[in-house]
Order: sequence, then C-alpha cells, then structure tokens
Amino acid sequence: MTMKALKTLAYAAMLLPLAASAQERYATRTGHIAFHSETTMENIDADNRKVSCVLDATTGAIEFAALIKAFEFEKALMQEHFNENYMESNTYPKANFKGKMTGASADDLKKPGTYPVTVQGDLTIHGVTKSVEHPGTLTVEKDGTVKASSDFVVKPEDHAIAIPGVVRQNIAEEITVKVRLDLTKM
Amino acid sequence: MIAVAAAVAVVGGIFALKEYNRGAADVADMTSVAKLPASELLAEFAADEVAATARFVGTTEQAIEVSGPIRSMEDADDGKVNVVLETDDALAGVVCEFAAADVPETWRAGSEVTVKGICTGMLMDVVLVRCVPVQ
Repeated sequence: MTMKALKTLAYAAMLLPLAASAQERYATRTGHIAFHSETTMENIDADNRKVSCVLDATTGAIEFAALIKAFEFEKALMQEHFNENYMESNTYPKANFKGKMTGASADDLKKPGTYPVTVQGDLTIHGVTKSVEHPGTLTVEKDGTVKASSDFVVKPEDHAIAIPGVVRQNIAEEITVKVRLDLTKM
Repeated sequence: MIAVAAAVAVVGGIFALKEYNRGAADVADMTSVAKLPASELLAEFAADEVAATARFVGTTEQAIEVSGPIRSMEDADDGKVNVVLETDDALAGVVCEFAAADVPETWRAGSEVTVKGICTGMLMDVVLVRCVPVQ
C-alpha cells in the first residue's frame, strides 16, 4: 500500500472513528448544500455540490465537510465578498459537522422506506463551533441508495461572521440551508 | 460643470451596475497558474495541504490545468458532470465538475485528457469546479 493510500485511509478514519461494522458505512463525495438569504433588498443563493459525508449506520455517527470556495454564486461579486469579507475562506477553508443521527437503524437502511431522523452534533463554520440539532429525512431507494435531506437555519452571528453595516440590509439575519446527500454503501 | 457631474454620475452608475451583475469569469479565458498531472496534484495536497492550498487554490480565484486518464464520469444534479481523473491512489482522485455541455462527447473512462478549472481544495479528493476541456 502506498503512502498516499495510507493517508487517505487515515483521512477516512479521522472522518469517523472506525467501528467493527465498516460495511455499514454510507458515503458521498458529491453532496449538495444550498443556502438562501432573502431580504427586501435582494436574494442571495449559493450552491456547493462537492460535499463529503460519511454515515456509520450502526452507530449513527455522521460527519460531513465542505470547501467554502466550492460555493458558487450567480454573481461573481457576491462570491468574492462571501469568501474574502464574510467567510474569510483563506483562513477558514472548510466547514464541517460531526455528530450523531437518530431515528433510523442500520436494519432500516437495508430496506426501502422513508425515515424521519434527528441529527445532533457540532457544526463548525468560520472557525466557530456551535452545538446544533436539526430534523431530517432518510429515504432508502430500491437500489440501496440512501437519500438524506435536512433544511435548517444558520445565523451568521452565531459563527462570528461580521456583516458590515453598509450591507446589513442586504443579508438575512437567518440563512436557510438545504442539505441533499445521495449516500451509497462503502 | 453640471453636465460633467451628470456624465460622471451616469458613467459611475453604469460601471457599478455592471460590476454588481458581473457573472463568474470564463475559465477558458483565464491564465493557468499551474499545469501538472492529476497524480502530482493529489500528491502535493497529501504531502502538505496548507502549502498546496496556498499554491493551487490561492487567495483569489485562479485557474489550474490538470492532466491524466479519466477514472470515471458521473452525471450530477443541475446539468453537471463530475469527471474524476486517475491518480496513484485508488481511494482518492481529482474531481472535476463540468457543465454537461462542456464535456467532449468523445471522453470516456480511460481517455487521456487535460482539464482547466478552479481548484477549491481537498476533502477526500482534490476538487476543481467550473471546468473546461483543454484541447
């Protein structure tokens, strides 16, 4: 095994502490996170379709990570301000979540169905970690793909993201976040 | 004097409006700051992620060119296609996100290609977005 392969395995191990039941893991490298800010001045939307996520169905442990610079906006100026002024993505290049999912067991994920779940854990954005709990849904398709979705709200101030007064009216105090993940068995 | 001030205001307003509505830069028109094989790009991130991020992601948006055989191609949401370039590591690759219309019809798994895109960093793979083919 090459050194690089060892490092990749180490990265996966960092994402989720290894359990005996590695075969019950589901993952994606192309998850989708979208956010929406709505004010009377303007609406702002961004999408990131390169989100990594690993779910250990046996323990419920779940982690995901997103590169801040992979968020794409319709307007370049918004994307520049997002990276340079608000998220400071050169200093804080990633956002991540580490926690636990309850409401669906490993056995549930072996048969088609839809399961309401709760995800609880630590969300780190802009270098600031906050404990969160959000509802979500797991849908097991006939081909075994597990579709995970969750909609929730993030407040920039909770993660020390400073919004200058001159654009305060343009950016919502509560940002709507949508997470969509197609997880396949590892 | 008033006419000059009005002209300046109009020109300034037009500039501000154009700047506000400016779309993402066309990657095909950007100068590549680095050209290297996909396996080498992954190795650089694996060896020193901070240094590789500084070099290939940069502080402002920049394009790089990456070459190698295609490991896989997958359709994604919203008219996107993920082209994964082969590396020396079976567990990690270089994922290049294309608009479906920008992917040459001749590309298949195994094709030797060169891709130009915006490197955003590394998670499990090195990620490039807004990719275009380099002929």
